[in-house]
Amino acid sequence: MKTNVSSTRRDFLHKLGVSAAATAVAGTQPLTAHAAVRKRNIQYAMLIDTRRCTGCHACSVACKAEYDVPLGVNRSWVEYVEKGDYPNVTRNFLPRLCNHCDHPDCVSVCPTGATYKREEDGVVVIDEDVCIGCGYCIQACPYDMRFLNPVTGTAEKCDFCEHLVSKGIQPACVETCIGSARIFGDINDPTSEIAQMIATNPVSVLRPDKGTEPNVYYIAADHSGEHERQRNRYVRVTTHRKQKIRR
Amino acid sequence: MSTELHWGFPVISYLFLAGLGAGALTVSASMFLSSGGTASAKSYFPEARYGALIAPVPVILGTFLLIFELGSFQVGDWFKWIKLFQVINLSPMSIGSWLLTIFIGISLVYAYAFWPRSRMTGDQLDKLRKTVAWIGIPMGIAVAVYTGVLLGAMPSRPFWNTPMLAILFLLSAMSSGVAVIMLVRALSRNGRAESEDTARSGYLLTKSDAMLIGFELLVVFLFIMFAHLTVGDVRHAVSIILFSDRSIELFGVNMAVTFWFWVIVVGLLIPVTIELFYIRSGRRHQKQFSVPRSVEIFVPIAVLVGGFMLRYVVVIAGQVTGSIGI
Ligand code: SF4
Ligand code: SF4
Ligand code: SF4
Repeated sequence: MKTNVSSTRRDFLHKLGVSAAATAVAGTQPLTAHAAVRKRNIQYAMLIDTRRCTGCHACSVACKAEYDVPLGVNRSWVEYVEKGDYPNVTRNFLPRLCNHCDHPDCVSVCPTGATYKREEDGVVVIDEDVCIGCGYCIQACPYDMRFLNPVTGTAEKCDFCEHLVSKGIQPACVETCIGSARIFGDINDPTSEIAQMIATNPVSVLRPDKGTEPNVYYIAADHSGEHERQRNRYVRVTTHRKQKIRR
Repeated sequence: MSTELHWGFPVISYLFLAGLGAGALTVSASMFLSSGGTASAKSYFPEARYGALIAPVPVILGTFLLIFELGSFQVGDWFKWIKLFQVINLSPMSIGSWLLTIFIGISLVYAYAFWPRSRMTGDQLDKLRKTVAWIGIPMGIAVAVYTGVLLGAMPSRPFWNTPMLAILFLLSAMSSGVAVIMLVRALSRNGRAESEDTARSGYLLTKSDAMLIGFELLVVFLFIMFAHLTVGDVRHAVSIILFSDRSIELFGVNMAVTFWFWVIVVGLLIPVTIELFYIRSGRRHQKQFSVPRSVEIFVPIAVLVGGFMLRYVVVIAGQVTGSIGI
């Protein structure tokens, strides 16, 4: 009778996944637990070391040239974050691009299925032939990374230069970066440079509270925003895009 | 305005018009069914008929506006929106498109069933009216709710991301539905004196609208109160409709005045005060319920303007606000 009870209980715990979690926490099987979370073999990602960024906008220009992005809209841009009062001041640079999120809100709202996360490499793409330009994904992205292309009438954003990457070439913005601030690669391959850099440096992602699990990481990013002015702190964010206020 | 808006006038109008049509049909069907579901003299047939004939118009108009704002339509790809109907997924817009299509069909059948002006009980339309009314009520509610869910589904937009919005849009849609029936009824009354029947239906409409507006005020209060008592994104975003100075400083627009004056005062407080006044005075003096024609025209117009301004404030405020920090 006693045995029965305990075995049922263990079954029950098993079903809840409690025992697996407990082992993982104890540290005996961390890699298995990790592998269980990451289903994809390849997940392309980017790491931006803001200490090496000079705010030169070469990436924005390269990106724009690569895709012939129309005037007034951008797939990527560099924000300047200025703060402090003289003489204690600082200016940091925050290059922005699509995060190719693990849980992309843009995908879950798309009514046509035009936006999806590719199984093979985790890149979030838009099928131009299917997109009707409803703008729902543009509203849903917590990073404001999407725009409506005024020429094609479809949603557009960074696609990690999949046409270059599939040929073994680095994305245009990475290739052009004068400070080598951008590292691109497969985050699921522990031997890749990006995986090693992320493992050995303090990194952060943007708006982690949104639960989208971004795949663009930053080293030494300044997360300050203009709302801090309400606390009598001088902060100015220059977005360098048509949308002047970050949202 | 220093902010790019992706959804402008067409989407604002669409949200209002879809709610209006859904409200008109739901109110019409409820009045019709609650008074027996026949065309007998004691039923609210004339009011139900107004609602039935109005309902398809705003919904179809709104849907056209929606298609008009699609990026693909604007670059000359007139029929790309058909792709909406090649899949169905869990996107609120996908579900909404199907819902809207079915609703348009139902509203057209319903309008057809009410087309003849004469009340003929027992004719073959009688059964159709009743059946479609039963289907129309849940469908109307679903369309009205979906207009709120469409906006509410996105964590990226803290102003919209609340279930309150769907309830608010539902109540506002029903109130606009009552208002539009009141308005058409008043316009077509055309100097004819109040009979016992019209007094009865006028009383019902006025009473229902006052109740709906009362609930709307409650929901608006809860929306504001919970936003104001929290910290972070939602509080930051909702401050845009509360305080003019913050609205201008942080977001570059003044939504507070628009909200307080057009939505709250014009759209809710003035109509409900007038409605309650007439309901009370009718009761107190034990006389037949009667409202001057000018008031019967003014009140629904105020409700409709308020309903439109509600969509306007919500759509704009939601887009110019976002999360704080990065
Ligand atoms: S950053 Fe925005 S557009 Fe890119 S995957 Fe995430 S939610 Fe989608
Ligand atoms: S704009 Fe295109 S990609 Fe975005 S949600 Fe609409 S159909 Fe999907
Ligand atoms: S990866 Fe390509 S598309 Fe994305 S920001 Fe860089 S250059 Fe632009």
